[in-house]
Amino acid sequence: MSKVRYGMIVDLRRCIGCHACSVACKAELGVPLGVFRTWVKQIEKGSYPQVSKSFLPALCNQCANPICLQNCPTRATYQLDNGIVVVDPHRCIGCKYCIASCPYAVRHVNPLKKIVQKCEFCLHRVEVGLEPACVNTCPTRALTFGDMEDPDSEISRLLATYPVQVLKPERATQPQVYYIGADMYVMEARGMGNAEVRNG
Amino acid sequence: MANILITYNVEHELPLSIHLAVYFYLTGLSAGSFILSTLAYGFGMEQFKPLGKVGVIMAILLLVMAPLNLIADMEQPFRFWYLFLYLNPTSPITWGSFLLTLYPLNSLVYAYFMFRGDAPRTKFFGLIGIPLAVSVHGYTGFILALGKARALWNTALMPTLFLVSAMVSGIAMMILVVIIKDRFFSPERQVKTELISRLTQLLAGTIILDLFLVVSDVLVLLTSDAEAKEGASLILTGELSPYFLGMEILLGSLVPLFILTFPLTRRRVSAVAFASALVMVGIMAMRYVMVIGGQMVPLS
Repeated sequence: MSKVRYGMIVDLRRCIGCHACSVACKAELGVPLGVFRTWVKQIEKGSYPQVSKSFLPALCNQCANPICLQNCPTRATYQLDNGIVVVDPHRCIGCKYCIASCPYAVRHVNPLKKIVQKCEFCLHRVEVGLEPACVNTCPTRALTFGDMEDPDSEISRLLATYPVQVLKPERATQPQVYYIGADMYVMEARGMGNAEVRNG
Repeated sequence: MANILITYNVEHELPLSIHLAVYFYLTGLSAGSFILSTLAYGFGMEQFKPLGKVGVIMAILLLVMAPLNLIADMEQPFRFWYLFLYLNPTSPITWGSFLLTLYPLNSLVYAYFMFRGDAPRTKFFGLIGIPLAVSVHGYTGFILALGKARALWNTALMPTLFLVSAMVSGIAMMILVVIIKDRFFSPERQVKTELISRLTQLLAGTIILDLFLVVSDVLVLLTSDAEAKEGASLILTGELSPYFLGMEILLGSLVPLFILTFPLTRRRVSAVAFASALVMVGIMAMRYVMVIGGQMVPLS
């Protein structure tokens, strides 16, 4: 069998900030109240009347060089041959070192199961040939999931055609979730709330 | 430069709690007092002989208490034994599982021979214990340093900073222990000023080294990337500045350093005891600022 490497492309030009991906994820996986495996950040740029609004879907980047995996003391976090980073629910001791190490803050403690969880590209769906729930539900087809080793896949076509960007490339984690149409201000905005001038 | 307003975002709670800061504090005290105990019994520096037995007892007691904080911080505390069942050689927590087992065992053997009066064996296990004590606290520095998401942690200075601050807090604790022991439990009810003045010099020296490392760390943070700058302003002017500038630097380092070096105060046992207590509080503030402050800079 030939090599498979799953990845995702988020076309920010298409995202309308409807949060359907977050809802589909919650419904598909029973993600409890208060925590999210994927969510859509909303960012406003500029000052009235020169303003624009951007959306940034956030999810586990399924890094090719994942720091969570390097730091997990029990190897509860591991990587499949297809690139998906998975957490073994029976092996996780809940030390939370992976959450502290992840530069993207996409891991959380499941408040009911008391273990660390995160987006796993809907592995149970992918294994039977379906797309992840968020990709399946996105009304504007802003999300594209597929095998990047297959030159004929939609994701390979998009990767080859458009300028893409990843979050925090300087961390050398090699994220495999790519963004099309990413604005520097949107990609680097962090935190919550009050208007602040970031970047120089 | 554009004006940016984040109107919706998800922030999950801080993963590591103050338990971890207390854990780092206790292992630091333990490593510090163990190393002081080996000055006489490992290296034959006779003037430090009174520290030997009390030092190793403190080291063992503190190291029994320390990992309880780690387990209390886990979401699945009853799975703690998985740390020995499933190993990951690249994770500093796995290194710690073994160090936290070997170090107290070696300390027990060392203490046993010391109380039996078997000098050669005491020396042997004391010298083995030094790299173990250094590692058991040094690895906690690596836990933070390898948490590469966090700008305040991800520095090569971290393990050294942790070791030096461990010595600072360990010496301060031993000064207090010796004063209490001499004052209330010795036959003469008198504090041995000679030993105290030796320890005072040692404490002043390590505080200066610690300050140098802290200043280096902050200066580099200020010239590094956006998250590092945000971390620096969090501890210098932000929410944590009372803990960092007030408790760690002013009350925990500068005031004690003055007391320990100024001729009128450094010979007064009460002043030295006061300075040592301040130092111990200051190092706890340092652990708090590192563990909690490191996680307060938003990542996404």
